[in-house]
Amino acid sequence: MAEVRPDEISAILRRQLSGFENEVDIYDVGTVLQVGDGIARVYGLSKVMASELVEFPNNVFGLVLNLEEDSVGCVLFGESTLVKEGDTVKRTKRVASMPVGEEMLGRVINPLGIPVDGKGSINTSKFLPIERKALGVIQRQPVKEPLQTGIKAIDAMIPIGRGQRELIIGDRQTGKTAVAIDTIINQKYTHSEEAKSLSIKPVYCIYIAIGQKSSTVAQVVAKLQEHGAMDYTTVIAATASEPAPLQFIAPYAGASLGEYFRDNGKHALVVYDDLSKQAAAYRELSLLLRRPPGREAYPGDVFYLHSRLLERASKLSEELGGGSLTALPIIETQQGDVSAYIPTNVISITDGQIYLESNLFNAGVRPALNIGISVSRVGGNAQIKAMKKVAGTLRVDLAQYRELEAFAKFGSDLDKATQKTLSKGARLVELLKQDQYSPVLVERQVVMIYLGTNGYLDSIPLYDVKRFEKEVLEYFEVKYNQVFETIKKEKQLSDQIISEIQKAANEFLRIFKKST
Amino acid sequence: MSNYKVSVRYSSSLLDTAIEKNNLDEISKDIELMESVLKENPKLKLMLKSPIVKPQLKFSIFEEIFRTRVNPDTLNFIKFVIDKNRESLLYDIIREFLRLRDEYLNIVNVEISTAYEFTNEQKNLLRNKFEKYLDKKVRLSFKLDKEIIGGFLAKLGDTIYDASIKRQLELLRKQFLKGSLILN
Repeated sequence: MAEVRPDEISAILRRQLSGFENEVDIYDVGTVLQVGDGIARVYGLSKVMASELVEFPNNVFGLVLNLEEDSVGCVLFGESTLVKEGDTVKRTKRVASMPVGEEMLGRVINPLGIPVDGKGSINTSKFLPIERKALGVIQRQPVKEPLQTGIKAIDAMIPIGRGQRELIIGDRQTGKTAVAIDTIINQKYTHSEEAKSLSIKPVYCIYIAIGQKSSTVAQVVAKLQEHGAMDYTTVIAATASEPAPLQFIAPYAGASLGEYFRDNGKHALVVYDDLSKQAAAYRELSLLLRRPPGREAYPGDVFYLHSRLLERASKLSEELGGGSLTALPIIETQQGDVSAYIPTNVISITDGQIYLESNLFNAGVRPALNIGISVSRVGGNAQIKAMKKVAGTLRVDLAQYRELEAFAKFGSDLDKATQKTLSKGARLVELLKQDQYSPVLVERQVVMIYLGTNGYLDSIPLYDVKRFEKEVLEYFEVKYNQVFETIKKEKQLSDQIISEIQKAANEFLRIFKKST
Repeated sequence: MSNYKVSVRYSSSLLDTAIEKNNLDEISKDIELMESVLKENPKLKLMLKSPIVKPQLKFSIFEEIFRTRVNPDTLNFIKFVIDKNRESLLYDIIREFLRLRDEYLNIVNVEISTAYEFTNEQKNLLRNKFEKYLDKKVRLSFKLDKEIIGGFLAKLGDTIYDASIKRQLELLRKQFLKGSLILN
């Protein structure tokens, strides 16, 4: 290393000093009365605002949550052992905020915007408060563009639109996170040149891990990197080892980052994984701040906690740039109990839910979607016409299949029609199974579901359906690629395309070899 | 919690009567005296709070201490407070009274910490500056604090006007760190 000359150092020092002004510094202070369990009671700070950031010694920051007659209740974002009774607390005069910008993409940060991936500092110029009011009626417009998840069952029957809030709910180990991660990976297509030419706008993703194991978060990041999805994704990690206040603010911080994209006319997808842990963190804080507990010991405003967060998802009007913020909250249920407090709250707030079941998961139906009780209340408008057309009968077919499935178990003799419904249903269920990390593009989904609902699979043995799907898509790609191209461009199924699909499928059925 | 509300009510009633009767100066001198006596004699404070000592006895103790020194109105007020069984809050009431009186007279208390004793001239200069700046009468109290190295530190309620060398050095340190690459 070259030697550093003393005059270089002094020149730098002088330059830095030149901006330094010797003025009286005015600030407001208070004194810590009591500290422990991640909260502090502060005497003084008489002018402090609710939800203002305050500074404790040793670089610990706190958030003001309670304003009382003679004291202020703060939650600490750092080690409470670093704060002592009698310490001086300073106001920062700014509400808790989050650095936002494109620079955040590809990074792993904590809820305060500080990078935790060891890739150096993030130079953003903009800050947004983490608690922002949701947009009003005037600024919004109905959801109209699709957000493709790449999961056949979801895109066909529970379509999600940009700006929608779709809950992913299920027991532990049912693949809730997998659905969300697949959705993020599938957004890679929206960043391609091809999508640009079809005027599909790119979707920026934010994955917020609340109260999860650090190892799980690391795995998610690795998977996203492996599939090239990290380039347009920010991961906000408030792992189980972080103090409860950080877990509590994490979703709001993520929503603010998403709103930055939305307000700039872009599209964002935010995954809150998961809100039951956030509610638990908030319960912890509330009980420590001595707010009265209500049902399941959650405080009275736990509904507002989630409603104000999810209300921030929106589709902006054209005058405001037409950006969108789609929210995919995740809730973990205990033994499938959706009537617990938090699940019912969030179900009522969101525009539909994707319900995952452990017995389906164990039966090998993955993603383990329960089609019967999963709904999407607004996404239907966003579905492309072609998909709407082919998926119309899918739901009905599957419903009939489920109804008859119970009878079939008795092994009694069944008439021809029933047997046909059963075998078709079984093939459709098989068709909707999908491996993790392998999202399917929408035009392929359309073709496959068309083949499924129109009886082209009926002659294929159940165990061959997966292989048939793979091979028929390859066949289409090689010999009838124009089918995909037209569906992509026109977004609907004309009679001409249908006849072409039929022709190709019949050709393929003749050459398809059933495995023995 | 509600102690605060109670003491505000009693003290403001005392203040209002004093203003009405035009003897605020006298009363506030009495109350100041009581405050210092109570502050210096914790036993007296403890006695006030004790539930074992009879109210009658509490008052007679007060009467004996203060009869010759204070206005009969002040003594009456003490009796009134004791009659109402709020003698445990008497000290809070007294302090609240002093605060309300300062507010009424447009006076602010400023605590000045300095590393070295200020001369009278410096003190007057500082007072004038503050009076001009705040547009209020200022009552200064001084305190020595070697830790701040130099300059002064003024505390006005919860707000601090920090012109100490210690703070300047802290800010300078932050400024340097901001320019360096090692941070983060």
